[in-house]
Amino acid sequence: MTQTLLNVRGLSRRFDVSQPWLNRKIEGTGKLYVNAVDDVSFTVKQGETFALVGESGSGKSTIARLIVGLLEPSKGDIIFDGTSLKNGLKGAKARALRQRFQMIFQDPLASLNPRWRVFDIVAEPLRVFERSMDKRAQRLRVGELLTLVGLAPEDGIKFPHQFSGGQRQRIAIARALAANPDFIVCDEPTSALDVSVQAQILNLMKDLQKDLGLTYVFISHNLQVVRHMANDIGVLYLGRLAEVAEAGALFDAPQHPYTRMLLDAVPDIEMTGRRRKQVEGEIPSPIDPPSGCAFHPRCPLANDRCKREIPKVINGVACHAVQEGRAA
Amino acid sequence: MTEPLLSVRNLTVEFPTRRGILTAVQDISFDIMPGEVLGVVGESGAGKSMTGSAIMRLIERPGRIAQGEVILQGRRIDNLPDAEMRKIRGRKIGMIFQDPLTSLNPLYRISEQLIETIRTHLPLSETEARKKAVGLLDDVGIPDASRRIDDYPHQFSGGMRQRVVIALALCAGPDLVIADEPTTALDVSVQAQIIDVMKRLCAENGAAIMLITHDMGVIAETADRVAVMYAGRIAEIGPVRDVIKDAKHPYSAGLMGAIPRLGANLERLTQIPGSMPRLSAIPRGCAFNPRCEHVMDKCRLDQPQPVQIAPGRQVSCWLYPPQGDTVNSIDERRLAE
Repeated sequence: MTQTLLNVRGLSRRFDVSQPWLNRKIEGTGKLYVNAVDDVSFTVKQGETFALVGESGSGKSTIARLIVGLLEPSKGDIIFDGTSLKNGLKGAKARALRQRFQMIFQDPLASLNPRWRVFDIVAEPLRVFERSMDKRAQRLRVGELLTLVGLAPEDGIKFPHQFSGGQRQRIAIARALAANPDFIVCDEPTSALDVSVQAQILNLMKDLQKDLGLTYVFISHNLQVVRHMANDIGVLYLGRLAEVAEAGALFDAPQHPYTRMLLDAVPDIEMTGRRRKQVEGEIPSPIDPPSGCAFHPRCPLANDRCKREIPKVINGVACHAVQEGRAA
Repeated sequence: MTEPLLSVRNLTVEFPTRRGILTAVQDISFDIMPGEVLGVVGESGAGKSMTGSAIMRLIERPGRIAQGEVILQGRRIDNLPDAEMRKIRGRKIGMIFQDPLTSLNPLYRISEQLIETIRTHLPLSETEARKKAVGLLDDVGIPDASRRIDDYPHQFSGGMRQRVVIALALCAGPDLVIADEPTTALDVSVQAQIIDVMKRLCAENGAAIMLITHDMGVIAETADRVAVMYAGRIAEIGPVRDVIKDAKHPYSAGLMGAIPRLGANLERLTQIPGSMPRLSAIPRGCAFNPRCEHVMDKCRLDQPQPVQIAPGRQVSCWLYPPQGDTVNSIDERRLAE
């Protein structure tokens, strides 16, 4: 039995997108909020990969930022290895815990400081978390990390712009590993990369997971990539979880109509000649989401109850039709 | 045998810079038949968009077509005066770009942009053109087209904007549509819709499509034939099914293995070491040689020429030497070694 490392309970995050005060007074409008993440719960097991998948505006990146503490939740709780992160952390305990999780971002050119040498970029977590480490030990450790991600220790003296996109993502991974974390949140780590380079990075991430016992929360819009990486998958739609399931089960027998639609929309590279159902409609604006189940305007199984009532996640699926047995 | 709609012969595109001439597209040749969908696939820097722009003569200075011919319906168009070329763009060849927000003018209503394009190419009155525009928007699946035609681009969602761009590309009834990454900026569920619309309308109007994309899945679903590009050259060209199921060039084979799939849950993906060379540092001989697992001495010296290995199937690789050599598959070559 694998141990639960991260437990997310009823996580919500609301953003204020109101007009400025004066405009509101003149136009007589009220405050306006977006529920970017709404009542999301899932657990991540030690040494495994939990993937969050969804289209634009589904709240994937917001959840990533909430987990690593770049944003504070409006409601709900995040429990990391038995410690609640809800009320923020302070002092030595925070430092010890923060050292254990790291994040990798989508665009390595934006997440690496262009004015720093690679050595300084990778050594920064060491300077923060391993203060006792002297320069010489730092140099050794950085060399080790760069070798680990498939670069050479000599690359440390170069600047980020001297590398290709894939190599830059390797640098970002080396930096994330510097503090010896056991948990890494990856926000679309390969979306900016070409296929052949994406394969290199995905293989590297899998190898590192095996060798270092890492736990990943992997965020992506690409279902094939998620299929390849994840043990468990959560499908997000407009800030809510539509379905959570083990990866194999989700792809073999998707329950939620949205998951089915999403899988249907993936181009058929095997050329099996599978007939695809026509996908209906587009994602509504998160500022003014539909009532009840947010998916109901696009759902072939929607009825009156779906328009009124927000479905709860039961047995990993948030859908009235599935729960009532209307989904064939 | 029917005449090809478009023939590209030995096309080379160069960019003179202070540090020498960069070759973005080198000596490529291919045909597009009437009504056919040709996919052009490759990673960033492969020269796929440059090829599309070269056909449309939209290469920005100082870039230039250094060599080769582009023949549309038996007529050379790469050396036409600008005024003549302008009549071909839109009328004979329509274009769909990646980002619909930049290909639509944000200051004009959709109706003005459509009507202007229609009236530039077709002898219609304002009212007739408007009627045609509404019909087009209807065809591309914009609900309530007669009302929405007077909206501005920002009032449409990304998918709807791309539909407008498709309508714009098709409004003068072109024979060829060059679609440059038409779905890359869109979500998966919308991508499937846009591809359907594009394919259906081009088939209805008898227009051929040159579909430029990095997404092999889109190609598999849409194209009849595919050209795999690498470092400005065509590595392999052939019927989609053959190239996907049985890629001959080591680069296309590696590319196919690198794509994660829904069906097979493999532990590891095939990995091509390294990355696409920069234009300023394309290796001598075969451009792929530093990354190729089958590299031979010859590959480092001489550039391979396209060799026909089956009807309609060409590969540029020294594993398939021209004439007289019977070895014609990587596996057999391996056995022979």
